[in-house]
Amino acid sequence: MNNSTQTLNPFDKLLDLTCFTPLGLLSLLVLAILPMVPPFNQEYLIRWLISAAFIASMAIAFDFTAGLINIVNFGYCAIMGLGAYTSAILVERLGLSPWLGMLAGGLAAAGMGLMIGMITLRLRGIFAACLAWFFGLALMGLATKLVWLTRGPMGMRVDRLFDTPSNVPFYYLLLAMMVIIYITCKWVTRTHMGVAFMAIGQNMEAARTSGIDPVFYRVSNFVLSCAIGGVLGGFYAHYYGILTPDIMHTSKTVEVLAVAYIGGRGSLWGGAAIAFPFIFAMELIRSSLSDLPGINLVLYGLLLIMVMIYYPGGFAQFFNTYFRQTGNKMASYLFNGVAADTK
Amino acid sequence: MIVLETKELTKRFGGLTAVNAVSMHINEGDIVGLIGPNGAGKTTLVNAIAGLNPPTSGEVITFGQKTTGLTPEKMCRKGLSRTFQIPIPFPKMTVLQNVMTAAIFGNRPGVIKDHAAHSRKMLEFVDFPIHEDTVSEQLNTVQLKRLDLARALASNPKLLFLDELASGLSEGELKDMMELILKIRDHGVTILMIEHIMQLIMNLCNRLVCIQFGTKIAEGTTEEVANDPKVTKAYLGGSGNTEAAAA
Repeated sequence: MNNSTQTLNPFDKLLDLTCFTPLGLLSLLVLAILPMVPPFNQEYLIRWLISAAFIASMAIAFDFTAGLINIVNFGYCAIMGLGAYTSAILVERLGLSPWLGMLAGGLAAAGMGLMIGMITLRLRGIFAACLAWFFGLALMGLATKLVWLTRGPMGMRVDRLFDTPSNVPFYYLLLAMMVIIYITCKWVTRTHMGVAFMAIGQNMEAARTSGIDPVFYRVSNFVLSCAIGGVLGGFYAHYYGILTPDIMHTSKTVEVLAVAYIGGRGSLWGGAAIAFPFIFAMELIRSSLSDLPGINLVLYGLLLIMVMIYYPGGFAQFFNTYFRQTGNKMASYLFNGVAADTK
Repeated sequence: MIVLETKELTKRFGGLTAVNAVSMHINEGDIVGLIGPNGAGKTTLVNAIAGLNPPTSGEVITFGQKTTGLTPEKMCRKGLSRTFQIPIPFPKMTVLQNVMTAAIFGNRPGVIKDHAAHSRKMLEFVDFPIHEDTVSEQLNTVQLKRLDLARALASNPKLLFLDELASGLSEGELKDMMELILKIRDHGVTILMIEHIMQLIMNLCNRLVCIQFGTKIAEGTTEEVANDPKVTKAYLGGSGNTEAAAA
């Protein structure tokens, strides 16, 4: 990668810096103009777009832990909820600006990530996942029971970020957040830190024997991933304007997990790419089959099983196998870029 | 100079004593063979020294410093490296990335300027047969063993543990591996190898340590140990007869 950097033209250089392929950038442009194009300029479709972009962002940060260091954070949406409640409470009680509230939510979630990272340190795979899940359940329990603080299941009213009934500014803000999250995560994976993450995720013993201290890397991975979740939680609170403990439920984590896994573990971009068509399909199914509540959860399960059997690497693996290795020069540039890493 | 010494090293798993008060030493420049029947506790002993499974009691002294119970990553920085009996490196990484991992994290920061170049040198050193961009889950056993060796060497060890590196190799591959091990020794690396293949042991090792049921039954030059009746008995005589072997 490094030896070709000098010869790149500015456009390719920008792509390389932002870790986008030309196709990735193109898709992003399409997403950016979508709310202006009928039929997508209707408010309810923009709401779908927002929930897709939200799941996409969550999937990127979730995959940062699950795909790289191989620990499935089953309490991820509870951490997101912690960020949401922190932000909401600070804004409502102390009159903080929602923007600062989002940051504070990120900090609170990062602190929780630090704690979970420390406690699960000695545990492997499934045990660490379970412990993270219990943390999530405990957080949700707190949000339900601390009625004086959170108003529990009655729901908490929160100021919105923008004082407008339109969803469009929220959509663009979230899209920008998604891009920043993607670039941040991708940048970290390109450094030596990313190498350490992959090494401890793939073979703990060999990693330690190679001189990698798992404590530092595991905890910092958790902290970053949870911090992102917390900021997203802040957005959630100040977008929907109402907060209930439901958002911390495990089924929400499973939704993120399904998108991240179907998109492709460890790819980071896979989950984001798949989230948009996926959420639209799910919303359509939900609205057309409204007499079958919960059918979308059954579909998640089926899809996950199919992905596990046929494409353990998810959509990213499918894409890498059938599109990236094309002989066509133009197509290869579109799919790979000049200097893009194919990981 | 003694590079590694263990004093009364013991490892218990609950009621089972896997390694029982083993004292041994390795001189600089040696190729020491650690031999013994299956299940004798050879790998456990190596794990106890290298930190993957810290010892219950006893002492480990590496390069003159007390290193009992240090974590594997700390032992790696001190100059101890190892390969695994069943080499499963980082399956989703390419061959080059595998070696680079150890090149980056196994050395003190700043010692190696160009990690990729250093890793390529290591791959060349072990005669790695195929392209460096191959994903390592596609490799066969022989290639994996060479890859694991290159990874172990990338952290510039002074002491190297080889855990059954030669098992499962064909006659020709065995000869190549023998030359490679000698080449590593000639680069100033002291080697402790767990091995079952007598041909390799007799040709390479200048000293042997033999353990049975977790207890050391012989230590000395290759000749001495190989002719020791206790060792012959451990390998050929009936199983489970500890008292006779220890007598």
